Amino acid sequence: MKVRVVLIGHFIDRFGFKERELELPSPCQFRDVAAALKLRKIPHVAAKDGVGIRPSQLLADGDRVIIAPVFSGG
Amino acid sequence: MKGWTGNILRIDLTKKTFRIDHFTEEFAQKWIGGRGFALKILWDELKPGVDPLGPDNKFLVVQGPISGVPMPNSGKTIVAAKSPLTGTYGDGNLGTHVTIQMRKAGYDILIFEGKAAAPTYVCIQDDQVEFLPAEHLWGKGTYEAQAWLEQKYGKTAGILSIGQAGENLIRYAVVRSMEGRAGGRPGIGAVMGSKNLKAIVVKGTKEIPLADPAAMKARGVGDLKKVGAMDKSSKWSVQGTNAVLSWCNEMWALPVRNMRKSHSDEAWKLDGQRTSDARVATYGCPHCTMRCGIAIHDQEGHESEIDYENVGMLGPNLEIFDMKQMASLNYMCDDFGMDTISGGSALSFYADAIDHGATTGDFKFGDAERAKQLLRMAALREGVVGNLLADGSLRMAREFGHGSESYAIQCKGLDLSAYNCKYVPGQALAFGTSAIGAHHKEAWIITYELKNSERGAYGRDKAQKVVDLQRIRSSIFESLPICRFPWIELGWDLKNYPEYFNLATGSNWTLEDFTNTGDRIYALLKAFWARENPQTTRVDDYPPRVYFDPANAEKEGPTAGKVLEVDKYDALLSHYYDIRGWDERGVPTRKTMEKVGLAEEAAELAQATQVT
Repeated sequence: MKVRVVLIGHFIDRFGFKERELELPSPCQFRDVAAALKLRKIPHVAAKDGVGIRPSQLLADGDRVIIAPVFSGG
Repeated sequence: MKGWTGNILRIDLTKKTFRIDHFTEEFAQKWIGGRGFALKILWDELKPGVDPLGPDNKFLVVQGPISGVPMPNSGKTIVAAKSPLTGTYGDGNLGTHVTIQMRKAGYDILIFEGKAAAPTYVCIQDDQVEFLPAEHLWGKGTYEAQAWLEQKYGKTAGILSIGQAGENLIRYAVVRSMEGRAGGRPGIGAVMGSKNLKAIVVKGTKEIPLADPAAMKARGVGDLKKVGAMDKSSKWSVQGTNAVLSWCNEMWALPVRNMRKSHSDEAWKLDGQRTSDARVATYGCPHCTMRCGIAIHDQEGHESEIDYENVGMLGPNLEIFDMKQMASLNYMCDDFGMDTISGGSALSFYADAIDHGATTGDFKFGDAERAKQLLRMAALREGVVGNLLADGSLRMAREFGHGSESYAIQCKGLDLSAYNCKYVPGQALAFGTSAIGAHHKEAWIITYELKNSERGAYGRDKAQKVVDLQRIRSSIFESLPICRFPWIELGWDLKNYPEYFNLATGSNWTLEDFTNTGDRIYALLKAFWARENPQTTRVDDYPPRVYFDPANAEKEGPTAGKVLEVDKYDALLSHYYDIRGWDERGVPTRKTMEKVGLAEEAAELAQATQVT
């Protein structure tokens, strides 16, 4: 299945891309996306459709996931 | 006393005199510095009801025990006064060489009283204080004033100045420093202007008194390198604060069209990547490890130093997506010395009020050239419209009527920073309960709401999180005072701050000592509000009413049809009061005030309003 990943802020510079489509085995949880990006040890927050998601969140083919650093409001 | 100099320089602008007062170690240990000092002094020395723009108000410049010491991001200064925008205690922090120079001159607190007979700047060099004519600077912008003073006193002199906005008593005029820094959103610049005080210059040659200077130096130098390296490896400074713009847009929490909308397909034109790519210079405060001041060229070719709040409020909130035009508005605000957030909010409210028939006018969202004209009119108080804009969104709404107060995007008179909370309940609570009016520096919990809770939930945990952050930010970051970025953006451990405090003062404080002091400060902040507003109710802690209006919900996207629910918000507010130990009106109870060491203040408050 395909999941579109959108990075925000300094993650773009850190990981070297802004938006990428990942091909992942189904079923897929967000933790699989995080593993593919080697994100696990980097503090981050993820969301889909304007709502935060957790590692166990099941994703569907074609989902668009936003991944950002842990912003704290300047 | 170690850490603190113990000295207050009290300057009477009316009489052109000064004297040095001293504070006790007990006072220092009770209030830390910065906001804590300013709040307690203004509580004690201002009569309730005093005119914020009259000579009886006081303008304070305040440091703390680690101010100016070489350690990560210690270059912050607090400016404070009774606010002409909110009518209660107001303050702000800004990076400036004043922090270092004031401590070297031997002072923790400057208190400016009275009113100079003519435009004046005050130069403080160690024990000498000069009152100097500033007619030649009056009417000049902050860039020109700063440049003239730097030319005369040197690049590293501590300089604070106001622009035309402060001179003309714009209620959201700020204090400016170092060509790019600003502080005092609640109109502290206007208080300077009301005193005919154009600028202050500070230079010092003394040693900052520290309990363990050798250990402080060794630790500070090491941590400056360490936090700098953390910033580099995370690449935080590449986009700086404006990185959050894309996040807010994706989360439908961006200020768009006076916060009527929370998302725009054009927002990418102003995102952190674009502003970083357009960068022509980078600036930071003294002892900065993560320089966030990204300067870009504006439409007229000026260097305009932007951050997220500026971009959000002067860009999408006005539906202006041309980066250079947004930068022009930002430059104008900086040069005039007016708050970019409230300036953007006043303009967006004006356009919205015209849209909704509350007033008539020719300003439309997206019209950058007209926005520039209006900003100039506000700063110079030109004409009826200029004067209306100069008084801020709440006063404009009261003038316009027709229900427009519901969409003046403010709490307690201070406009919301650039986070649209119409479907972010916890952050709405953070803005609503911020005792100086809506300000992101008090508490920001949007990420918490997404990561650790449910976005649409109103659980007690969110109230607890707001209280926790207000405790930490009010005591550590506003009162030491120090920049919070290493902690909040890079995850530099919070325990570092008590450790530095202890090295400076010889104390043995823990984080709990700070948070307890934060409770004392927040209780007195709210008591200040209640003393000035004896009829206060819990509604004063509500966010803008339009956030509860179903007609204001998004028509599309993930938050379509959703707004805050008033009953649930009110229940969330009750959780907040319960955690704080405040009554149902949002006033600290006598028991709570006594518990946090404010028994005398509770008795004083009881003379103004009911204390249960």
